[in-house]
Amino acid sequence: MKTLTQIVAELSHLPGVAVAMVVGAIDGLIVETTGMKDAVTGGPDPRKHTAALGAYLYSKATRAADAARLGTPAFMRLEAQQGHICVVGARDVVLVTIVSPDANLGRVRLDMMNAARGVS
Amino acid sequence: MTDPTVAEGWVAVPLRRLKEDARLISGVMSICALTSAINASARELGRQLDGKPFYETHHAGADRQVFMARCAAGGQEFLFVGVFDRESSLGVVEIYFAEFQQALAMLRPEKEAKGTGPSGDFEGELNRSLDALFGPLGKR
Repeated sequence: MKTLTQIVAELSHLPGVAVAMVVGAIDGLIVETTGMKDAVTGGPDPRKHTAALGAYLYSKATRAADAARLGTPAFMRLEAQQGHICVVGARDVVLVTIVSPDANLGRVRLDMMNAARGVS
Repeated sequence: MTDPTVAEGWVAVPLRRLKEDARLISGVMSICALTSAINASARELGRQLDGKPFYETHHAGADRQVFMARCAAGGQEFLFVGVFDRESSLGVVEIYFAEFQQALAMLRPEKEAKGTGPSGDFEGELNRSLDALFGPLGKR
C-alpha cells in the first residue's frame, strides 16, 4: 500500500501534471500535495483554491450522477483555456490534479484511477 | 438599499458576496454574543497553549458547521461567524473568507470607529458577552 506522499509524488511525475493533491472530500482541505511545477516566485498559489473548489465540484457531480441514476462518478475533468482540473474520488478523500493542455489525459486518467484504488 | 441585519452599512456588499459564494446560511444573527465569548476564550486558550491567540475556530456538527474568525477594516476589528451545511465545506468558506477580508480591507467606513479594539481583558470581555446573551449573573 502506497502512502499519500508517494501517490501525489508519482502523479506529479506524469508529463503535464503541474500539481497533484489529496484533498478531504468533505472539508475540501489539502491533506497532501506536491509543489507547483513552474510556479512563479511570489505569485499566488492556486492549490488551496483548486483543492477546495475541486472537492466541492466533485461533490456536486456526485449528486448529479446520483440524480441521473448513473452511480458514483469515476473521473471528473474540467477543461479550461489553459489546462484541466482532474478529480477522482477515493473514499474520504479526492485526488486532484492540475494538468497542462498538452498532457496525455488518457495516462493521467488511468494513473489517477489506479492511485484512487490504492488509497487506504 | 440597506440591509437591516448589517450594523455597519459599508460591510453589506462584501458580506453579501461572501454569504452567496461560500453558501452560508442566514438567520444566525442571534449567535453573535456567543461568538464573542467563544472568540475571547479561544484567544486566551491560544495565549496559554501556543503563546499567541487563536484567531480562527471551526466547529463541525452532524449537519451544520460554524467557522469563526476575525477581520479588520478601517482601524476596527470585526468578528466573522459563518454557519454552513453540506452544501459548502470548510475549504470553500476559508477561501471566500480570505477574499472577504481583502475586500473589507479596501473599504473605508464613513466614520472612524468610536469603540476600542480588544482590551486583553479576557474575563471582562467574556462576562460582558455572556451577560448580553443570558442576562447578568444572579438575575438569570
